[in-house]
Amino acid sequence: MKDLKHLIFFEKLLENADNELVRQAQKEGGIALGYTCYHMPEVLLNLGNCFSVRLRAPNTGSIDIATYYMSNYTCEYARALVERGIEGGYQFLDAMIGVDACSMMNRAMEHFEILQVNDKPNFFVSHCDIPFKVTDYTLDSYVRQMEVHVLDELNRRFGVDTSDEAIRAAVKEHNEVCAILTEIGQMRKADNPVVTGYEYHVLNLVSFTCPKKLILPYLRETLEELKTRKPDKKPAFRARVAIVGSEIDDPNLTKLIEGCGALVVSDRYCFGSTPGREIIELADDKPALPQICLHVMQHSECARYIADEKVLQRRETADRLAKEYKAEGIIYEQMKYCDYWGFERALVSHIMHDEYGWPVLSIDRLYNNGNSGQLRTRVQAFVESLEIKRIHKEAEKNG
Amino acid sequence: MTAPSEREPICDVGSTYTKAVILDENGKMIADTTIRSKINSEQSAIAAMAEVCEKAGLKDSKELSYLIGTGYGRNKVPFADENISEISCHAMGVHVTDPTVKAIIDIGGQDVKGISIDTDGTVKNFAMNDKCAAGTGRFFEAMARSFELTLPEFSKLSLTAKNVIPITAQCTVFAESEVITLVGEGKATDEIAAGIEMAVAKRCFVMAKKAGATDSITLTGGCAKNDGLKEAIEHVLKLKVVNLKTDPQLMGALGAAEYARQKGMAKK
Repeated sequence: MKDLKHLIFFEKLLENADNELVRQAQKEGGIALGYTCYHMPEVLLNLGNCFSVRLRAPNTGSIDIATYYMSNYTCEYARALVERGIEGGYQFLDAMIGVDACSMMNRAMEHFEILQVNDKPNFFVSHCDIPFKVTDYTLDSYVRQMEVHVLDELNRRFGVDTSDEAIRAAVKEHNEVCAILTEIGQMRKADNPVVTGYEYHVLNLVSFTCPKKLILPYLRETLEELKTRKPDKKPAFRARVAIVGSEIDDPNLTKLIEGCGALVVSDRYCFGSTPGREIIELADDKPALPQICLHVMQHSECARYIADEKVLQRRETADRLAKEYKAEGIIYEQMKYCDYWGFERALVSHIMHDEYGWPVLSIDRLYNNGNSGQLRTRVQAFVESLEIKRIHKEAEKNG
Repeated sequence: MTAPSEREPICDVGSTYTKAVILDENGKMIADTTIRSKINSEQSAIAAMAEVCEKAGLKDSKELSYLIGTGYGRNKVPFADENISEISCHAMGVHVTDPTVKAIIDIGGQDVKGISIDTDGTVKNFAMNDKCAAGTGRFFEAMARSFELTLPEFSKLSLTAKNVIPITAQCTVFAESEVITLVGEGKATDEIAAGIEMAVAKRCFVMAKKAGATDSITLTGGCAKNDGLKEAIEHVLKLKVVNLKTDPQLMGALGAAEYARQKGMAKK
């Protein structure tokens, strides 16, 4: 396929947290708000002249210093963030809006504060408590947390307009990003898609890490480009897979998987598009904030929820996505030392195979593993087993 | 011997040894070679191919009909038509050698894999160690070095032990240091060697169980030739390890050749 016009530009934007568009927005008076988790509603960080930057730790090599502070048994994403913070990679931030969705990230946020990784006088770190169940009273608590730890702080420290109208304006912009990403994502359902999993991953990541108003023109243009893009006559992939699991912000992991012949057609992982790129529907007659919080709680697929309905929801979503996007197998992945997904992957990778009938590859991965030869071997062997299953099925069908 | 165009060669570029095999159209092995891998996988493949072609009485690899690369350096085999992961290849190699075997522990130079085999020789399930070299061929090389023994001598030594001294460290570097300490304390070297075999066997137990191995298991890879390890694995798994008729180190190469044969036939 012909290369996407802006792909190299997008890849460049992912090389540093304070990329070209972040710097441009700050020059224009924008307030950069870092966050790490879906449970911090992205729209609340895009009010007025604020813009959200979902944090990655590109260019982080050894995470030894963070390991000293946080121990070997802390999730590598959390450690990589602290390491990058210590290296000065997040000096550009005006605030870090943390949620206590998992103890690992909670510790990372604490270290941002304790180690004073940012020198700005107004810089602050928030700690929002996120409920474990979806009920009316937990929703009330969630809303209150957002009011006290996010909206009030933004208003008090930076004079940000946090009114209902301002929230609705942010939702409108957010929904346009989501609509574009959803439309591009749907293209992956085609038998011979015009967008690869790697390209989609890059597009999705830039939508999370760049100021919305500055990335939107590029996303709009890319959507139009994809509408007329011609796929290769002979697909370059040998099997289609869905990815399910914990945080992935490294597009090279998707590149590695696709390099082994598996087209990544759907992504259900933290920092992916499910959840994250669903349009937020707001009723006009109710305040926006509780509706946003409810949207997040209902759409969250985080393994931290252990209520029966959420446990089932995660399995059903993985099954549904794999079917809708015509995947032939599912890759269950987990960031090393992620508590929640460590349990979920170990258990559900068997359930998806035994009860839902999916071929499953289960992997325990590092934060940065683009060059892992062993991971490549595992994925390639999985692709080969999917391919051979298909060949045998076709042979059986043809008698 | 069949016409050159009917021959299906493969090249298995492992991290420690590079193996090459040439099969005839009926699947009979007509030549094979095993050489120490060089730092450059491409050079290893070229050297192994030159040697195996010479053994088969061929001028070079151009006389061959279809070539598959496998192993750690599979992407670097310059004359390969395609590459297949060593996991799939070991399963197929064992299947064509002995279809009654249903599971494999493959201990290569830098990884340990547990593989369960489907009825058609494809992979049913597999498990693999992570990035470190604990319990691999490299681990054994380091351990044998600390005893100033060759690998066969090390294996033989472990079989003479009446007791087993447990080795707690799995990391190659730490285990070497632990062994040096035990030797320094004057502990019996055969018992330490048996402890090392047992430590690796336990690692293999995990991989085999993760892959779903329940019965009829065999060992492949270079470490399959280590009788001390075989005995330790039989002890921890409480299973008799099946001995293969063909060199277990060639299983990856043989499986790839079988795939080449199947794919070549499908092409016709």
